[in-house]
Amino acid sequence: MSGGLADKLAAYLTRVWNEPVAVAAFARISGGASRETYRFEAVTAAGRRPLILRRDPPASLIETDRRAEFLALKSFHGQGVAAPEPLILETEGAELERPFFIMTRVDGGVAASPFSPDPYGANAAALGEDFFGTLGRIAAADPTQLPLAEAAAAPPLDGCWKRELDYWSGVIEADELHPQPIVRAAIRRLYANPPPPAQKLSAVHGDYRSGNFLHDGQGHMLAVLDWEMAHIGDPLEDLGWATEPLWRHGEAHRVAGMLPMADAIAIWEKASGLKVDPKAFAWWELFASVKGQAIWISSAKEFKDGGFAEPILGFSGWVTARRQDEILARRLQEGLAR
Amino acid sequence: MTPSVRDILTCAIRVLSTPPNSDAGPEYAASRAGITAALVGMAAGEGEVAAGAAIAENAAIRALFAEALQYNVALDTHLDHELAPAAEGFDADLAVPALDADNAALRRLLIRLHEAVEKAGDHALEHKILALYVKMAEGRRL
Repeated sequence: MSGGLADKLAAYLTRVWNEPVAVAAFARISGGASRETYRFEAVTAAGRRPLILRRDPPASLIETDRRAEFLALKSFHGQGVAAPEPLILETEGAELERPFFIMTRVDGGVAASPFSPDPYGANAAALGEDFFGTLGRIAAADPTQLPLAEAAAAPPLDGCWKRELDYWSGVIEADELHPQPIVRAAIRRLYANPPPPAQKLSAVHGDYRSGNFLHDGQGHMLAVLDWEMAHIGDPLEDLGWATEPLWRHGEAHRVAGMLPMADAIAIWEKASGLKVDPKAFAWWELFASVKGQAIWISSAKEFKDGGFAEPILGFSGWVTARRQDEILARRLQEGLAR
Repeated sequence: MTPSVRDILTCAIRVLSTPPNSDAGPEYAASRAGITAALVGMAAGEGEVAAGAAIAENAAIRALFAEALQYNVALDTHLDHELAPAAEGFDADLAVPALDADNAALRRLLIRLHEAVEKAGDHALEHKILALYVKMAEGRRL
């Protein structure tokens, strides 16, 4: 027991489970800029249970809805998607003083650093099958029948793109510290050339990418993580984000460090029963780069506002932002040449 | 540009001088230290090139403004009146904060120029602006 937060967590669980609970092996996990994430074991008379605590930080990189994250996990756990089981949602904070939720912990897996070269090695193709197949299954589900619908509004089919673009361009407008002509040009292009209406509404994970899942090192996903930006929208949004060049591990010929783009799309289409319209997908690809830059711009502001205390925010707001600008500039140039 | 090298080093000082949070545990502290070390390493490189990169970007933007004036895009009077002195400007103070301030002003004007070029449908000039964006992004690569 590390004292402090672990003691408060033990007190909370003892109260809500109505039995004595001790908290052991409590430790913060790195990453997770919008939630503090801790691993621990809940020790009861029945034994030890490995769990994860996701607690709101004092300030967050991006405004996310913990209830939507919890309900997204509930929507897909046990439904052919490796989503950890959500257990407790505490919106008031209670003994832990800030809102949080608790979910089961998936042990034995590894998550790739999004910036390490060739992180999946010989298992890349098999993992790509699982990765894009899983995303297709998420897209195939009827979101209005999922628990997620309790916390996420369903936009009209022709309004998905605008809701997302309004939101993320608003983040840039609010948080930009230094003028950003490149991403602003991309935003104007997206507004001027809207995509066709979504072919259906889907649950959108919101941050489905290489590095945001655990895998077994043998080509299988064990857990899809970080559902904190889950919402209902156009299924192509997640596909655009998953194939964004930032998450390609420096490779030109494979997306997500796993598969050629055409293979990834074919797997997704087969699993989702949907088709990828090239014009619509091109829009969502550029949008993914804009959304990324919005997150990094927000990160830079949070870094400054927090007195430069969190190095991960500095990394995102500096290193990742500059890489994103290169991607955006190339995409703008290629888009005009088409 | 933000964060600046000074911001990054301020972060490193804070991380190194603040005792680890007892709730976090050694793994998190080690990860935080590792990210900080990477940032300091990149800040060392950035410190050597930041002024040169800002000077080069400012010069490239000014050159584009000069070219835009020759294109006679007839953007709008106010913009023309701002582009001309900006195109002829120079970086009088070579300290990085002063260069960044010049850069911010030039970038704001570049945004307005691009909007006007889009409105005018001048594809030739837009190609030049997009090529400049690529050059700017590559020039800031870490």
